[in-house]
Amino acid sequence: MYGWIWRHLPGNAWVKALVSLVLVLAVVYVLFQYVFPWAEPLLPFNDVTVDNQ
Amino acid sequence: MAATADETEEITDASEPGPAPGRRRPGRVALAVSVFGELLITVGVLLGLFVVYSLWWTNVIADRKADRQGDRVREHWAQKGDSGPGALDTKDGIGFLHVPAMDNGEVLVEKGTGTDVLNDGVAGYYTEPVKATLPIGGKDGNFTLAAHRDGHGAKFHNIDKLEEGDPIVFETRDDWYVYKVFSILPETSKYNVKVLSRVPEESGRKKPGHYITLTTCTPVYTSRYRYVVWGELVRVEKVDSERTPPKELRD
Repeated sequence: MYGWIWRHLPGNAWVKALVSLVLVLAVVYVLFQYVFPWAEPLLPFNDVTVDNQ
Repeated sequence: MAATADETEEITDASEPGPAPGRRRPGRVALAVSVFGELLITVGVLLGLFVVYSLWWTNVIADRKADRQGDRVREHWAQKGDSGPGALDTKDGIGFLHVPAMDNGEVLVEKGTGTDVLNDGVAGYYTEPVKATLPIGGKDGNFTLAAHRDGHGAKFHNIDKLEEGDPIVFETRDDWYVYKVFSILPETSKYNVKVLSRVPEESGRKKPGHYITLTTCTPVYTSRYRYVVWGELVRVEKVDSERTPPKELRD
């Protein structure tokens, strides 16, 4: 999987490494900005109030 | 590692059309196993990132928002000056909670205990299932508050550091409300809404009074139970021109 991505990136090893880094940062950004905020309320870690539901 | 695999493959691709005998490309099973392994690693990294997100990044975001909202409230207070009590503006927050034992500075208090409110790194006063009685106005009742234990500012993270007799100070535009902790319930069901009653009987008090209730989740990092701390109003101090804090906050 990752080998396949590496082989399909353009340029020499340095360019590939740079592009990979950018890709990794982009994935982390999407996760922190969109995916985790969406997933968090679905998980039972952060209810702090008492209520009768 | 990836680079060597790359080179060998390019060589085989260039020199021979099919896989050379003895130096075959990985078989289907090997390929499936390696993809599966990579997926497992990916899941592990994702879960690790989620922990980083919940315990660190949400705090960064929430503290930033809370600071901004807190500044706005203080600006409002400064602008209105001494022009009488005026209408209570609950949108930006009604005041600040200072709990020296929790060692986390001031916590802005806003209306409501929904995640949209609490995720901004503030404490919220209950509007449901039992409505909080705000100290402003001086009526008997229970000033009930909730805040996050972890993540999103984690404003009540150190709630377990509070002991009986510790001060809890609530600051409004005109007054310091000084409470003293008199009872602690380290673990209760999340359905136990009785702790929010006007007279919270589980705390040992039977008569109406000016109470404050802090609720959050426990044990840390989970939401299995609720941790409750009750305090009682000791005195109200007028805010002076320098906003000198009451002596409980000075030492």
